[in-house]
Amino acid sequence: MNTVLSRANSLFAFSLSVMAALTFGCFITTAFKDRRVPVDIHVSKVMLKNVDDFTGPRERSDLGFITFDLSADLQPIFDWNVKQLFLYLSAEYATKINSLNQVVLWDKIVLRGENTKLNLRDMKSKYFFFDDGNGLRANKNITLTLSWNVVPNAGILPLVAGSGHISLPFPEAYETTKSY
Amino acid sequence: MLSIFKSIPTHMDYKGQKLAEQIFQGIILISAVIGFVYGLIIEQFGWTVYIVLAGFAVSCVLTLPPWPMYRKNPLSWQPALPEISGESSQKPQESLKKKKHK
Repeated sequence: MNTVLSRANSLFAFSLSVMAALTFGCFITTAFKDRRVPVDIHVSKVMLKNVDDFTGPRERSDLGFITFDLSADLQPIFDWNVKQLFLYLSAEYATKINSLNQVVLWDKIVLRGENTKLNLRDMKSKYFFFDDGNGLRANKNITLTLSWNVVPNAGILPLVAGSGHISLPFPEAYETTKSY
Repeated sequence: MLSIFKSIPTHMDYKGQKLAEQIFQGIILISAVIGFVYGLIIEQFGWTVYIVLAGFAVSCVLTLPPWPMYRKNPLSWQPALPEISGESSQKPQESLKKKKHK
């Protein structure tokens, strides 16, 4: 403490320790918070095709097309320990081969300060809804769920499923188109 | 160049060093508490960081330079003894021996 440099050193070290303690406090104040919010999913149109899947089993596989509406108010999730949300819509279903299939159909990043009221109409899925066989046709129970990763300033990275999933049956017959 | 830097006084006395440490710890802790409460209320952790950084800057200004308030208790050194000619060659050796015995 007798020179400028040694004072600057202890001042800097002390400030960093205090900052670390504050960051931990930020984590603790939000660690046990419930980050679920109600989500309203509505599927307006389902289409099913049977096409060549060049990435999968090299056979004709089921490809689903879903048009959906999505509305949710994400404002309660945001607090001082949230930088962004990564939302994704996933489909879960069971087939004869696999007891659980999960396919991500659509995703969206909501940054802090952006509009937190989701109100989306007639959305097409971003990614292909391919089954690895023919498990989509006449499947009676395909569940769509909106889940989100909460990206924090400090602490754990929680993965939360929104309450309000929807189950829908898929059509019995394939859509036949001449050109695709 | 170096002699210019060395001519700047940076020294604090012992009580001044203790006071400087107490001052910067107090300022940073108070700004940390204020920043935490403020950030919690307005739900922005960035403001907590800014307030702590402001406390850091203020305590840098207050405690890095040796302000007069840190130099109020200088050590009272024994006044320099006048050298007596002739014994000057022996005296330093005697004092060294005494220090070793202690």
